[in-house]
Amino acid sequence: MDNTQIYKLSDNIISPLGMTAGDNLAAVLAGQSRLCLHHGLYDLPEDFCGSVLQREEVDGLFAAECGSGDYTFFERLCILSAARAIRQGGVDPTRRDVLFVLSSTKGNVACLADDPMDERCYIAGSAMRVAQFFGNPNEPIVASNACISGVCAQIAAVRQLLAGRYRTAVVTGCDTLSRFIISGFQSFKALSTSPCRPYDRDRTGLNLGEAAGTIILRTGGEADVDAGLWQFRACSIHNDANHISGPSRTGEGSYRVLRDILDRVPAGQLACVCTHGTATAYNDEMESIALHRAGLDTVPVCGLKGYYGHTLGAAGIVETIISMAALEQGVIPATRGYRAQGTTYALNLSDAVRRTDRLGFIKILSGFGGSNAGIAYVKGGRA
Amino acid sequence: MEELIEQLKAQIIEVLNLEDMTPADIDANAPLFGEGLGLDSIDVLELIVMLEKEYGIRLSNPAEGKAIFASVATIADYVSKNRKK
Amino acid sequence: MKTLSTLTITPAGATLNGTLLAEAGITGLYRRFVGDYPKFFKMDHLCKLGLLGAELLLKDFTPEEKERGAVVIFNRSGSLDADRHYQSTLAADNYFPSPALFVYTLANIVTGEIAIRHKIYGETSFYIMDARDDTAMQCILDSTLLTSDPSFILTGWIEYAGEDDYIADMKIMIQE
Repeated sequence: MDNTQIYKLSDNIISPLGMTAGDNLAAVLAGQSRLCLHHGLYDLPEDFCGSVLQREEVDGLFAAECGSGDYTFFERLCILSAARAIRQGGVDPTRRDVLFVLSSTKGNVACLADDPMDERCYIAGSAMRVAQFFGNPNEPIVASNACISGVCAQIAAVRQLLAGRYRTAVVTGCDTLSRFIISGFQSFKALSTSPCRPYDRDRTGLNLGEAAGTIILRTGGEADVDAGLWQFRACSIHNDANHISGPSRTGEGSYRVLRDILDRVPAGQLACVCTHGTATAYNDEMESIALHRAGLDTVPVCGLKGYYGHTLGAAGIVETIISMAALEQGVIPATRGYRAQGTTYALNLSDAVRRTDRLGFIKILSGFGGSNAGIAYVKGGRA
Repeated sequence: MEELIEQLKAQIIEVLNLEDMTPADIDANAPLFGEGLGLDSIDVLELIVMLEKEYGIRLSNPAEGKAIFASVATIADYVSKNRKK
Repeated sequence: MKTLSTLTITPAGATLNGTLLAEAGITGLYRRFVGDYPKFFKMDHLCKLGLLGAELLLKDFTPEEKERGAVVIFNRSGSLDADRHYQSTLAADNYFPSPALFVYTLANIVTGEIAIRHKIYGETSFYIMDARDDTAMQCILDSTLLTSDPSFILTGWIEYAGEDDYIADMKIMIQE
C-alpha cells in the first residue's frame, strides 16, 4: 500500500455555470453565479433562491453525446458528467478494473411525488443504470452521507484503489432540486432568500443548487509522482457525536478531520482550505472554531457556495475540482458573498481572487447526522 | 385559557412524540427547553409547523420562537392573541 | 478483521450471538433494553433499529474505546421509509412540511444517532447497495482500515419495509 499513489486523471462539472470544469472555473473566477429567486417552481408556496439547471440544455447535450434511453433527469446528469470525464481521461469503462462510485443524498426522490412505491427511488438502482450505460461489469459503490457524500465517495474510491481491487475509479456526485428537498430545507428555516454570504456578518442562510461532478482517480506508481498530476494525500471522516442537525459548538468532528489530515500534509504545503461554508449561522461559526483549533487561522480559506449554492451530493466533488483547477492557474477563488468577519474566530478569507504558488489544499464538508469529512490533494512532486 | 392550555399540551405530546408523557406531566409554567422537557432545535421548528397547521399562525423568524415557546402558558398566551383558526 | 459479537433484530425478536434475547417488537425491545432515552420515539424506524442494535452490541465497551469507534451501515432502501412519510406532508391541499420528519430523510442519520448515544467520534458512513452482498460489504469494511484506525467497527445491514418486515443484522468487528 505504501507505494501505491493515487492521481486525478480527469474531471467534469455540469452546473448552471457551465458544462466543463474549465467553463465552471472561468465563471467562478469571473465572480458569476446563477443563484436567483424562483417563484412557483415545483409548485412551492414559498419562493426560494437557488441555482437551477436548464433542463433543455442538459437534455440537448445528453441526446447529442449519450443518445436516448429511459433515464431520469438525475441519471442523465450523472451519465453526461461521467461520460465527459471518461472521454477526457481516455478511460475504457468496460474494463473489470474500473469502479463506479456515486455520491447522492436523494437520487430520484422527486419520483415519490407521483408514486410512493416508484422503484426508481432506490439510489443504488440509479448507480447501476449509470454503470451499465457505460457497459461497466462491476457493482457500483453508493455513498449516501448527506452533505458530506461527495468527499466520502472520493474516500471510498481511494480505499478501493489502495486495496488494489481496481485501477480506476469514476466518482460522480449529483443531486437535483425538487419540491421534496426545497420544502425540507425551508421547514428548517435554513434557506436565505437572497444569494448566500458565507462567513459574512450578515449571512442569513444557505441556497440550494443543482450540479453533477465527476472526478476520475487512478492508481499510479512512483514514476507518476513527478508527472504533475494531482495526487491524493490524506483523508478523514469523524462524527461530532452531538446532534443530528445542529453543528457542534466546538467543531469537534471537523477539527478531528483537520487534525488527521495535518498529520500527513503539513500546513506549509496548503494553498488553501476549501471549506463547507454554507452561510448558515451555525455551520460557518462551527468551521471557524474547527479551523482555529487546528491552527489554520492564517491559511487562506475559500468557500464556493456563493457561486453554486449547496449542491448536496455533488458539493464535495464540484468543490474539489474547482479547487484543483484554480490552483493550477495559481489562484485561490474568492469567497463570493463574503464581506466582513462574521465568526468568532477570524479566518483568512477574501472576496477577491488571490494569487498563490502553493499546490495543495484540503476540501472539508460537514452535514446532517453530525458528519464531517475531509480530503487533501497535492499537485506534482514529492512532499 | 385553561382549555387552550390542555389542548396545547396534548398537541405538543402528539407532534413531538413525547411517548411516555401525559398532559398532567407537563407544568404549564415550566420551561419547555433545556432543563424542562429537554426539547431541542428541531422541536422548535416542529412547534412552528404546529402553530401554522392548528392555529393558522405563521412564524417566519425562528428567533421569535424563543419567547413564545418558553412554556405552555406563553404559547397559550400567544395563540389566544394571534390565532386565525 | 474478526467478528466480536453479532446481533439480529427481526419482528420475531432480538438474537445476540445466537441466543434469543427477547421476543418483542421494536418498542418492546426499547422498553426492555434501553428505557431511558425518550429521543428514541422521535426517530424513524431505521434509526430505532440501529440504536437498539448499538445498545446491545456496545454495552461492554469503555467510553475510551467508543470514542475511537466507527459506525458503517448498509442497506438497499436508504431512508425511503422516512422519505415516503415526509412526502405525505407535502400534499398541495395539506402542505405542512415537517422538519422532524425531513431530518430522517437522510440515510446516514442512523449513524449519527448511534454516535450521539454512545459518544462515538470516529468515522460514520452509510452505503447503499442494490442488494445485500456480504462480500462487497466486507471489502468496504476492510478497506476502511487503509485510511483509518478505529478501535472497532459497528456495522450491519438495516432495512425497514413495514411493521412485520424489518431486519437489523449487525456486528462488532475489530482489527486482528
